[in-house]
Amino acid sequence: MEFDDFIIGRDDLILITGATGFIGSKLVQGLLKSGFRNLRCFARPSSKLERIEALCDRRPAGAHVEVFRGNLLSREDCLAATKHVALIFHLAAGRGEKSFPDAFLNSVVTTRNLLEASLRHGCLRRFVNVSSFAVYTNRKKLRWRLLDESCPVENDPWLRGDAYCYAKAKQDEIVVEYSKRTGIPYVIVRPGYVFGPGKTNITGRVGISTFGIFLHLGGSNPVPLTYVDNCAEAIALAGLKKNVDSEVFNVVDDALPTSRQFLGLYKQHVKRFKSLYLPHFVSYALCYLWERYSDWSAGQLPPVFNRNHWHAYWKKTRYSNERLRTRLGWKPKVPMAEGLRRYFEACRDAQPYA
Amino acid sequence: MLKVGIVGCGKVADEHASQIQRIKGCEIVGVCDREPLMARQLYERFAVKRYFSDLMEFLGQAKPDVVHITTPPQSHFDIAKRCLELGCHVYVEKPFTLYGEEAERLIALANERRLKITAGHDDQFRPAARRMRALVESGFLGTGPVHMDSYYCYELGQSDYAGALLGDKGHWVHRLPGKLLQNIISHGIARIAEFLVTDSPHIIADGFTSPRLRDMGETEIIDELRVIISEEERTTAYFTFSTQMRPSLHEFRIYGAKNGLILDQDQETLIKLRGDRFKSYVEKFLPPAILAAQYLGNLKTNMRNFIRSDFHMKAGMKYLVESFYRSIVENTSLPIPYREILLTARIMDAIFGQLDAQRLARRPILRVGRAANPVEATSVASRFRASASRSRAL
Ligand SMILES: NC(=O)c1ccc[n+]([C@@H]2O[C@H](COP(=O)([O-])OP(=O)(O)OC[C@H]3O[C@@H](n4cnc5c(N)ncnc54)[C@H](OP(=O)(O)O)[C@@H]3O)[C@@H](O)[C@H]2O)c1
Repeated sequence: MEFDDFIIGRDDLILITGATGFIGSKLVQGLLKSGFRNLRCFARPSSKLERIEALCDRRPAGAHVEVFRGNLLSREDCLAATKHVALIFHLAAGRGEKSFPDAFLNSVVTTRNLLEASLRHGCLRRFVNVSSFAVYTNRKKLRWRLLDESCPVENDPWLRGDAYCYAKAKQDEIVVEYSKRTGIPYVIVRPGYVFGPGKTNITGRVGISTFGIFLHLGGSNPVPLTYVDNCAEAIALAGLKKNVDSEVFNVVDDALPTSRQFLGLYKQHVKRFKSLYLPHFVSYALCYLWERYSDWSAGQLPPVFNRNHWHAYWKKTRYSNERLRTRLGWKPKVPMAEGLRRYFEACRDAQPYA
Repeated sequence: MLKVGIVGCGKVADEHASQIQRIKGCEIVGVCDREPLMARQLYERFAVKRYFSDLMEFLGQAKPDVVHITTPPQSHFDIAKRCLELGCHVYVEKPFTLYGEEAERLIALANERRLKITAGHDDQFRPAARRMRALVESGFLGTGPVHMDSYYCYELGQSDYAGALLGDKGHWVHRLPGKLLQNIISHGIARIAEFLVTDSPHIIADGFTSPRLRDMGETEIIDELRVIISEEERTTAYFTFSTQMRPSLHEFRIYGAKNGLILDQDQETLIKLRGDRFKSYVEKFLPPAILAAQYLGNLKTNMRNFIRSDFHMKAGMKYLVESFYRSIVENTSLPIPYREILLTARIMDAIFGQLDAQRLARRPILRVGRAANPVEATSVASRFRASASRSRAL
């Protein structure tokens, strides 16, 4: 990494939220490796610190890693955590939350608190908002079309029936809204499915495990994977590179496997289990029926499967990392085959489930 | 058209909004949360008319007839009081208030203003619970209840809740007088309170922190609770709250002098227990067949309700809200008598009071099998019995 191309110097203070998480810890590791010497990692009192502590133990001489204990839901904590901060990588999010208000609280209210706190200090040079592919609607395009940064995001994201999608779409919205109103510089990074050691589940884009059988829904769709180290590097570059303010970057690796290939490899290298392939027209019809039934029965079955969901997750789509490469000079350092090998190995050790 | 408002726009408010929207003759005219973003998200997803972040503005401008209070329990009393003072009927989520005395004051205020108030004990209005009530009212038990057994368990391990709650000492649950218990047990206690006839049963409570939580470094939160409730030497009840036992039951058993009933909330089944016995070996063969037939009957009922699209997970809440609204519009009796709300609150006060006293006294709590020798076990047991006889009558 060339420091001349960056908006901050190696001793400027960087705040990383979600630093204890799957991607956040890799980001901290990457920043330390690139020579940044002043990092503040935001962690909740209940956060597990092993990953961060391991990094602190191995940090280069002269590097300072502070673990800030607090909750982004507290405005005071946000104010204290953003003091003197030049760059924020905001990865914290309510990821496992099934309820809309909980996901919203931990993604949107937290983001607003951080933005407001940063404004109070007035020293922030960029806010990197880590979003997700989940926000794209993918509804209007014909099959086999490209999903890139120019594609529309969900207008009414709650209709997807997915709390995460709703919260992430609203999180992006509030960042843009604040930037328009206050001029806070931002970049949005939207990773596809991030995989690597530390995760054991199979992405819903491949299929879902239900009533003891795995329904394979992806078929020949490419799966928008990005290996966690590659993704962390893309996020770092999006925060550091000059002249990319207000841009959006999608993150996917090269040589994406199809859903069928991924599932085959998983079964071969991790664990054998039964799966049933549902062709696209069947999964679409089922989603349609579920949606209608959910409507008709006033939510006796929650509207978690619906046509919007199908378009976003199971419609055949191509992905591109062109903008990442051209604007940020990013290249996936860990090739797909190697990433999958490490992932499957870790899955095997972690007693996975399908 | 009954105008409804919701104060507190978290997870529970979503359930209220969904159920209210299924009820004819009412509309949500406004939602309110101190955090405007939270109010906005509920407003946006449920196509509510307006959202507010100030309670007085909400009450003044949206002018709701009924307000649902779905905020953390610490604020229930103040918000409910203000709503009543401004002429709104109130539905307060469980736990109704922090203390029995607050419950009394709210009910007195509602009576004084000729308004209605209810508690969110919606589990008592689920389909099987309603069938149980009807049977008890029809005299199926033969007499009033002789004994009740209420299990209300909670799977702490299933959620990230444990980690978040234990790690964050600032979590509002830590500030409740009864901590975790207070936020959960009222459903199970209210079930017993419904069938008690006096206002001052004896309460003996014993609680402790489970080994699992202790291993996680927790000493304050009690997540295992056993309670004995008895009134005038005629009706007794056991209440069990556990985070550790499996299955994690939500069950209620009620026995009269003639027959008994078992309500399983998770499976939505109601089983009749015959008091009479069959002769000789018939007792070994016929009752299992009768039970099997009853379970099949429950299956049929559940399926029928599902097919009719009347089997929502929150069916109890819809029924309770609908009944509450009806009692307002038609000025009929309330779905939950005030006596029951007050008794539930008082029993909870007594439980938390005893647990506090136990903690302060730091006396060893009876744990059978834990004592170093049988003599010690006996002496602890006798102390427990002695404390039982001294236990507070409400
Ligand atoms: N993983 C993926 O496949 C993927 C794909 C696309 C986008 N993303 C995005 O990437 C980001 C990181 O994802 P991840 O997979 O690394 O998630 P993760 O492992 O679940 O980490 C989430 C982090 O957010 C923190 N957090 C949540 N609520 C918080 C609050 N109120 N205050 C402070 N911290 C809070 C968590 O802290 P605790 O440690 O205390 O829980 C945790 O460190 C998220 O924004 C996610 O939406 C992920």
